[in-house]
Amino acid sequence: MLQSKSFVKKTKQGRVVKVVREHYLRDDIPCGAASCSSCDAAARRLNADAAAILVIDTNVVLHQIDLLENPAIEDVVVLSVVLDEVKNKNLSVYNRLKALCTNTARRFFVFTNEHHRDTYIKEMAGESPNDRNDRAIRVAARWYQSHLGASARVLLVTNDRDNKRKATEEGLNAETVESYVRSLAQPGLLDLVVVPTSGDVTMEDVEDLRPSKRKVIYIEHKPMSEITSGLRCGIYHQGKLRVNRYNPFEAYVGSESIGDEIIIRGRSNMNRAFDGDIVSVELLPQDQWHETKSFIADDDEDDNEGDVRLAPDSADDAPRNTNSTQSTVASVSSRPVGRVVGIIKRNWNSYCGSLEPMPMPAGSGGVAHALFVSKDRRIPKIRIQTRQLGNLLNKRIVVAVDSWDVMSRYPSGHYVRTIGDIGDKETETEVVLIENDINTRPFSTQVLACLPSLPWTLSPEDLANPNRQDLRQVRVFSVDPPGCRDIDDALHCTPLPNGNFEVGVHIADVTNFVHPGTPLDEEASQRATSVYLVGQRIDMLPKPLTEDVCSLRADTARLAFSVIWEMTPDAHIIATRYTKSVIQSCAAMSYVEAQARMDDSRMVDPLTVDLRNLNSLAKIMRHRRCERGALTLASAEVKFEIDSETHDPLDIGIYQIREANQMIEEFMLAANISVAEKILQHYPLCSLLRRHPSPTKEMLEPLLRTASSVGLNLDASSSKALAESLDNAKRDDPYFNKLIRILATRCMTQAVYFCSGDMSLSEYYHYGLASALYTHFTSPIRRYADVIVHRLLAAALDIAKLPPIFQDGPQLTGIADNLNYRHRNAQMASRASVELHTLIYFRTRPVDTEARIVKIKANGFIVFVPKFGIEGPIYLTSKGDKGGDWVVDEVNQKVTKPGANISYAVLQSVMIHMEVVEPQPHRPKLQLTLI
Amino acid sequence: MVGLSEGEKHFIRGGIAQDLRADGRTRLQFRAVTVETGIIPQANGSARVRMGATEVIASVKAELGKPTILHPGKGKVSIYVDCSPTAAPMFEGRGSEELSAELSVALQRCLLGGKSGAGAAIDLSSLIVIEGKACWDLYIDGLVVSSDGNLLDALAAAIKVALSDTGIPKVNVSLNAETDGEPEFDISDEDFLQFDTSSVPVIVTLTKVGKHYIVDATSEEESQMSSAVSVSVNRLGQICGMTKRGGAGLDPSVIFDMISVAKHVSQRFISLLDSEIAAAEAADAE
Amino acid sequence: MEHVNPLTGFRVDGRRPNEMRQLRGEVGVVSRADGSALFEMGNTRVIAAVYGPREIQNRSQQVNLKEALVRCEYRMAEFSTGDRRRKPKGDRRSTEISLVIRQTMEASILTHLMPHSQIDIFVQVLQADGGTRSACINAATLALADAGIPMKDIVTSCSAGYLCSTPLLDLNYIEDSAGGPDVTVGILAKMDKVTLLQMDAKLPMDTFETVMELATEGCKAIATYIREVLLENTKQLECQRG
Repeated sequence: MLQSKSFVKKTKQGRVVKVVREHYLRDDIPCGAASCSSCDAAARRLNADAAAILVIDTNVVLHQIDLLENPAIEDVVVLSVVLDEVKNKNLSVYNRLKALCTNTARRFFVFTNEHHRDTYIKEMAGESPNDRNDRAIRVAARWYQSHLGASARVLLVTNDRDNKRKATEEGLNAETVESYVRSLAQPGLLDLVVVPTSGDVTMEDVEDLRPSKRKVIYIEHKPMSEITSGLRCGIYHQGKLRVNRYNPFEAYVGSESIGDEIIIRGRSNMNRAFDGDIVSVELLPQDQWHETKSFIADDDEDDNEGDVRLAPDSADDAPRNTNSTQSTVASVSSRPVGRVVGIIKRNWNSYCGSLEPMPMPAGSGGVAHALFVSKDRRIPKIRIQTRQLGNLLNKRIVVAVDSWDVMSRYPSGHYVRTIGDIGDKETETEVVLIENDINTRPFSTQVLACLPSLPWTLSPEDLANPNRQDLRQVRVFSVDPPGCRDIDDALHCTPLPNGNFEVGVHIADVTNFVHPGTPLDEEASQRATSVYLVGQRIDMLPKPLTEDVCSLRADTARLAFSVIWEMTPDAHIIATRYTKSVIQSCAAMSYVEAQARMDDSRMVDPLTVDLRNLNSLAKIMRHRRCERGALTLASAEVKFEIDSETHDPLDIGIYQIREANQMIEEFMLAANISVAEKILQHYPLCSLLRRHPSPTKEMLEPLLRTASSVGLNLDASSSKALAESLDNAKRDDPYFNKLIRILATRCMTQAVYFCSGDMSLSEYYHYGLASALYTHFTSPIRRYADVIVHRLLAAALDIAKLPPIFQDGPQLTGIADNLNYRHRNAQMASRASVELHTLIYFRTRPVDTEARIVKIKANGFIVFVPKFGIEGPIYLTSKGDKGGDWVVDEVNQKVTKPGANISYAVLQSVMIHMEVVEPQPHRPKLQLTLI
Repeated sequence: MVGLSEGEKHFIRGGIAQDLRADGRTRLQFRAVTVETGIIPQANGSARVRMGATEVIASVKAELGKPTILHPGKGKVSIYVDCSPTAAPMFEGRGSEELSAELSVALQRCLLGGKSGAGAAIDLSSLIVIEGKACWDLYIDGLVVSSDGNLLDALAAAIKVALSDTGIPKVNVSLNAETDGEPEFDISDEDFLQFDTSSVPVIVTLTKVGKHYIVDATSEEESQMSSAVSVSVNRLGQICGMTKRGGAGLDPSVIFDMISVAKHVSQRFISLLDSEIAAAEAADAE
Repeated sequence: MEHVNPLTGFRVDGRRPNEMRQLRGEVGVVSRADGSALFEMGNTRVIAAVYGPREIQNRSQQVNLKEALVRCEYRMAEFSTGDRRRKPKGDRRSTEISLVIRQTMEASILTHLMPHSQIDIFVQVLQADGGTRSACINAATLALADAGIPMKDIVTSCSAGYLCSTPLLDLNYIEDSAGGPDVTVGILAKMDKVTLLQMDAKLPMDTFETVMELATEGCKAIATYIREVLLENTKQLECQRG
């Protein structure tokens, strides 16, 4: 039973409590080498005829993980001491290392040296933990050499000069990462090697980039002890740095200690912090809290500023508005401004982008230094070294950040991999997916094993289930976009003898197939949502479920979860019931088809009558909802027609909203609200709801300013007041009202999921829908939130037990956070995909069109192109010339050229020319010019 | 209590009178003493002392605390004793409380001096980390595991050994000028402050049976005592504390006599302990 | 927290999931008691002392004239845990454990052979590092055997838990406080009967079975060890007495 006999006790001094832990040493830990006959054969991972068995130290893992992930590196022994150190220092690298060690295709073996009788060492007096661990690594390497004998060559790979020297003295084979990689004779691999920083062995041929220009650019970060004491006494503030998506020279740090966001202006104040880093910030004196004038392109170096992009849908997509006050000369903002003094936790990642175009250096084949520009504009340029510049110049590549010292303007990083050619549709789509952290891997066999056997048919057990009502005789139908294959909702509307209507909303019963805790459920929970790109869909659930078993197709018996109301003819809900059901849809219509049926007065078949009844109910409900103050918001959703062969866009246009769409939407809203009420009543602390925070004054500021400049008075005191004044905003211009609504929409933040236990009742409010409660119930095929709500509802009805996860508050909050994160990313990816296709479309089709001015800037203005749903800058002056002779009138939102008698005002209509230009080869961009 | 027949009682008293006790010892001879250190790994210092069938454990735990306002320059030490029911069924439940309290008070008196801390055997000012702000609080716990008389002497000896085994972690303090508030502690993992135990006294109890007095009485012998005097003596032969137990009155001259005997015996006991400590430390290091 | 390393399958202290900590048992540690024993499971260390069978001290406690009265008290030393906290004697936890030990031992003692008498079992925890309840029962078994009290069978106890989706034998304090379930099982070793079963936290039924099976395996291993200790002790006694 008990294998090893000897054990030592390790004591650790905590704050004051002395902790004593047992530490067992064993003699049965296998070495993992195939050439070894004495160890357990089942553990063999390392090749018998490997050229060398590599023992790596902690820093090699921490800095060279991209190299280790390359299949050229094999037969690696990962010591448990290394594993532990990596875990403590960098969790994301640890997870990557873990993936390597568990990947059966790779030959990485974990050796538990800390528990092996012969390789465990005690800390010696005066030895630092680091030195002790280095020694442990050497001891383990020596053990491997003597254990395997002459049959293998054991190589210690370390970049630590001291460690390497000691290893050589002790008779071990030791090499630096670089010299080992060189010995493999694969030049491409060398790009993956991270340049060692000071203290490590320097590479022989490292030449300083610009020795003459080496000077201190950034302020040294404060030591951690000073930061913690500064935080405690309130001179520093801690928070996550968020870089402005539209102006990478401005960042915000949400600080709890101040209760407000601190603005960080300029790269030197950001002091090498990346987006997402946890930083500590010092406030600047109040007289330095100036506003800067807003230019389209704010600063020197970055000429990617002011790209043409998709018009934003919400405040989350739109550029942040900081010039809240009418900025006269030196007005002092109320918002604190600070600078970063230290970085508490780095959020360094790998980034997608391309190299800045540069001439090929003479004598190619050597090492070239290049600047990498990330697609994510929040990320500064990254300096890398490469030996394959020619191959990389016009490619989308992935680069990882390694370090950023005070002497260098840009951080240093290294090349990780190539995605493909710049501008290529597949490449760019992959970039979009990587940037938004979207999992496109095919579903694993474990996940697919959870699917019901196909073809799935209704079983007698389903019918015999007392909780499941057979509604196959009811005239149920669905209305969806054309070509929709994952139909998750259907409706019915039956007149009752008493003159009322029975209206049912039937939602695909996904939770009948996706059971909590299964790999299928885990996967769906991680993906959280299906992602819709132009001409492509990345599913949350495997296809057999989404398109077959759960899709409420016509003339097929399907399982559903139904909400059934009794409604009076004036759309008052008298009774609501919820049930699992079996339905058989009689028609799967498209919106156009349904609309045509309703409009065609000659048709009087029962189905059409049902549609008309529903439509009249929906209109009343909609009217009532608007009276409560729900906002009718507008967005310019674009639709592409895609060539079925080349998958290139053929036509582009604004998605048309019909009455039929609104009808379906109305009943989905009603079903969601009914379900929200039910689950909250049963589970006040662990329901998953959706809230839409009311916009703050500050957020509405740009809208109000624009409106007042054209003489329109908007009342934003409540959602109802705003809705009414939006309704009244009418001019001769037929597009005026829509334009104002579009501008209003982008002032709002997005709705978010939350766990009911985390908020107070008043915070549950959904501003946009003017509903006290809201949740998502109606699309479980493509949203995981709905799956959770289905489970809650089933438990509330006593049909199923509540999965244990709902009792775990923090975990539920974690799920809600993940849902919000994934939703946001899915939306960003969709938008990016549309932007990409817009660019491809206009590449061959320059066009003149009408545009609307939406924002005045010092050197031009931003226009919105209604026809294509995009917006972008138009420059009145050439670059670098700030303002020129144009005068900006902020109050009236006007820019005029004195003398020339030309002026442009906000909301004004202008004619523009759209064209794709290539200012630099392989860097196409859409350009707007005034005609 | 110990149930003895008349014959047994007579035998014990007679033996003492003839300077040949029931277990073969003379009146001023101790039983075999064995000492082990470091037996409670999670304590900062610990020791087990066995004297014949009497076995006690002492542990010392150090915690960071705040000095009292009255004595900003001194650390705090508290001593508690518990008698386990394993030692005797009478200690079951609340049965041990009376004896435990008596032993605790006697030890406090001998080791901690007066209420102000003056005259304490342990240098309280050496426990201070920052005057008025932080100090070490020592918690000394004694546990009687097996009882065959002379518990007080055994406990005092165990505490002395445990204190000599105690290592208090070194503390690096960074006082923050800006905050002028709470000090920052950095507790060292390796460096320990060895405790000065040279002035910690031992206790020698002289038990009076009949006309004679004996040291290190077993519980049978204790059952025959008329009174007992416990004297704590340090290495220099100074008397640090004294307790008299038992109802019978003692002639003052007898007390003086007992004190001088105790003083003499204590030096023997201290050197006995010293050699045991050295042996225990050697065993520990190995 | 990873209580089982996902890559190597070892626990933090170097054990495999189905391995017990180092055991040590010693009888006769309290010379004045009728029977006594020390039992260690890793860093958990307890002493048990048995007094009796002897005359009933308090007649009012006697319930059944034909059987011996078994009493038990469990006590923790002030210094037995990492953080020193003064607890009042006879707190609820101690009372509960006392009761559990008494009932478990009573099931094995042939009480009908010793009418009009009482047996006291006192257990004192010197060091607590998880599994004190089990260690106390094992120590009590040794002490009762040392006292020569007739028993049906050897009673042993062991705990098992379930962390990181792995059943773990003999949880130490860190594993025990991880919040997972903790199943303590006591068995009559030779008769293969369960006399003690306690579990906190929730556990699915099928998992519970494997966890309990593991704990039972642990009990059997301890029984083997305890038998060895007793045999060794008897041999020594034999030698001493010639």
